[in-house]
Amino acid sequence: MAPIIQTINLTKKFGDFVAVDHLNLSIEEGEIFGLLGPNGAGKTTTLMMITTVIKPTEGTAIVGGHDVRSEPDKARNLIGIAFQEPKLLWVDKVIDVLNWHAKICGLSKSERKVRVKWALEEIDLWDARNKTIHSLSGGMRKRVEVAKLLIQRPKIAIIDEPTAQIDVVGKHRIWNMIRALRDEGSTIILATNELNEADVLSDRIAIMHRGKLLVCDTPKNLKDSIPGGDIVEVKLEKELPEKTLRAVKELDEVVNLVKVKPNHIRFHLNRSETVTPKIMEIFWRNNAPVLSIRISEPSLDDVFLHYTGLTIEEAERLTPRAKKP
Amino acid sequence: MKKVLLVVERDVKRFLRYRFLLIMRALWFIVQIALFGLIASRMVVIENYFQYYAAGVSIIILYSTAMFVSYDIYEEAEHGVIDYLLSLPLSRRELVLGRSIASGIRSFMYVGPLMAIVLFLIGVTNPLNLAIALFSLFIFSFGVSGFAITLAVAIKSEDRFDILMGVLDALIVRISTTLYPRTFIQQANTFYGLISNFNPLTFAADLFRWGAGIEKYLTFSNPLIPIMAIIIFSSFFALIGIVVYEKRLEGGGWQ
Ligand SMILES: Nc1ncnc2c1ncn2[C@@H]1O[C@H](COP(=O)(O)OP(=O)(O)OP(=O)(O)O)[C@@H](O)[C@H]1O
Ligand SMILES: [Mg+2]
Repeated sequence: MAPIIQTINLTKKFGDFVAVDHLNLSIEEGEIFGLLGPNGAGKTTTLMMITTVIKPTEGTAIVGGHDVRSEPDKARNLIGIAFQEPKLLWVDKVIDVLNWHAKICGLSKSERKVRVKWALEEIDLWDARNKTIHSLSGGMRKRVEVAKLLIQRPKIAIIDEPTAQIDVVGKHRIWNMIRALRDEGSTIILATNELNEADVLSDRIAIMHRGKLLVCDTPKNLKDSIPGGDIVEVKLEKELPEKTLRAVKELDEVVNLVKVKPNHIRFHLNRSETVTPKIMEIFWRNNAPVLSIRISEPSLDDVFLHYTGLTIEEAERLTPRAKKP
Repeated sequence: MKKVLLVVERDVKRFLRYRFLLIMRALWFIVQIALFGLIASRMVVIENYFQYYAAGVSIIILYSTAMFVSYDIYEEAEHGVIDYLLSLPLSRRELVLGRSIASGIRSFMYVGPLMAIVLFLIGVTNPLNLAIALFSLFIFSFGVSGFAITLAVAIKSEDRFDILMGVLDALIVRISTTLYPRTFIQQANTFYGLISNFNPLTFAADLFRWGAGIEKYLTFSNPLIPIMAIIIFSSFFALIGIVVYEKRLEGGGWQ
């Protein structure tokens, strides 16, 4: 099946500054696609081009079979977006904003009533429905942005940093709503700089850095793609004989091995879930009783580090910014 | 078409919230007529200048109310709402058309009662003419709205727009027949006279006076000329508005 969204050398320049640089992505129908990258990586700019809010400098995106350059109206009809910064008039009331949004998205009167009420309850703003945007907190405004998507249920739902400014409880609720939206049939694109968020939600993740795509795969494959990314720490009752150590080293998946203490070994390896039993068996055969094992998987931070040589925090500090006039 | 109407609904509702501004402008209008108009008419040689002036001021306020849509656009730019509107399942054509129509309607809704007062003072003789004139004036305010949208997105800076509007208001109003008949403009300077012949405010003021039965100092003896001119003016700016809106806003934000 053809991907529902495909970007082809998608590029955006602001003056001389290249915010998005020949990006090639393909997003499948029905998936939650995470766009992960540090501040200034070009995530929002990419999403704005896909939603036809801004025009690409070069390249294009095909959305549901429609080129955003030649058929922007058709592409736009498939899309709904919850912006990173809530884009709302401060004097408007929450309920008015959502009602009008529902209307312009083509909901019938009866559908609208039900869905607006439901969405307001879902995001916990029913009691605040008659407040003006001005009088809401930052997190509440952000939730109004998300509510628009819940009401619209677009074929392609784009969410830019869905949980920035939102508390922990709210975060999980929004994650669940995103999953529910997907289960209803929407394809989701999610931009975030939170590793955990991308990890728990996405079917696939594209990591962006300085406008370029670094890598794109499932969270699991991304983590597995780091050689020796899994870490297994084993503590033993007594010191391990050299012979046993050598036998373990010979396993293909073991990339590196550090003797922290005579009876404490740290293995860097791949696919820990299948290798660890093998290691245990070797220890067992060589009569080396194990006291404790701790397995830790690499995080997406490690993945990012692997591909850029930088942690996300470092990348955010070092990413060049376009000069704003 | 349904979406255009929804855009209209949004903008008209929004207008009603500018209560303070609306009250102040109405006061301005009343002051212009009740003070300036009354006093100036004693000083001016042309016959029934008070009526002539009242009709002209109605056109000025209609024009400036239609221009007001620019401030909506600046407010939206400030809050990023422009991006929201651009992301909706709605074509640029529907969006700009809806906004121009809304702005035309709201100008009319607002200036309508004021015009009614003026018409009452003048005393209408030919209701059919008046109906035609009012319809043309609606088209006029729709065109001015398209002009305002074009200017706002082309300039993109509220400060500059404000300054430009000051100059433009002076120019557009002064070189038109809103305040004085064309013969005087022509006498002062033939070039001014020439420009005033092509000024939409001249057409609008002429039509309103024609509809209200103040026929003595009309620029064009045939009302079809200003009607046609207004239709051309309005279609031109509605179209330009759509093109400029797309070109200027989709390059990447407001700056
Ligand atoms: N309208 C604009 N004019 C000039 N530069 C811009 C504009 N919009 C974005 N940029 C620049 O493009 C780069 C990418 O910005 P973008 O907002 O796409 O990043 P992002 O990945 O969404 O970051 P964040 O995580 O902070 O939201 C930044 O350096 C930004 O300064
Ligand atoms: Mg962003």
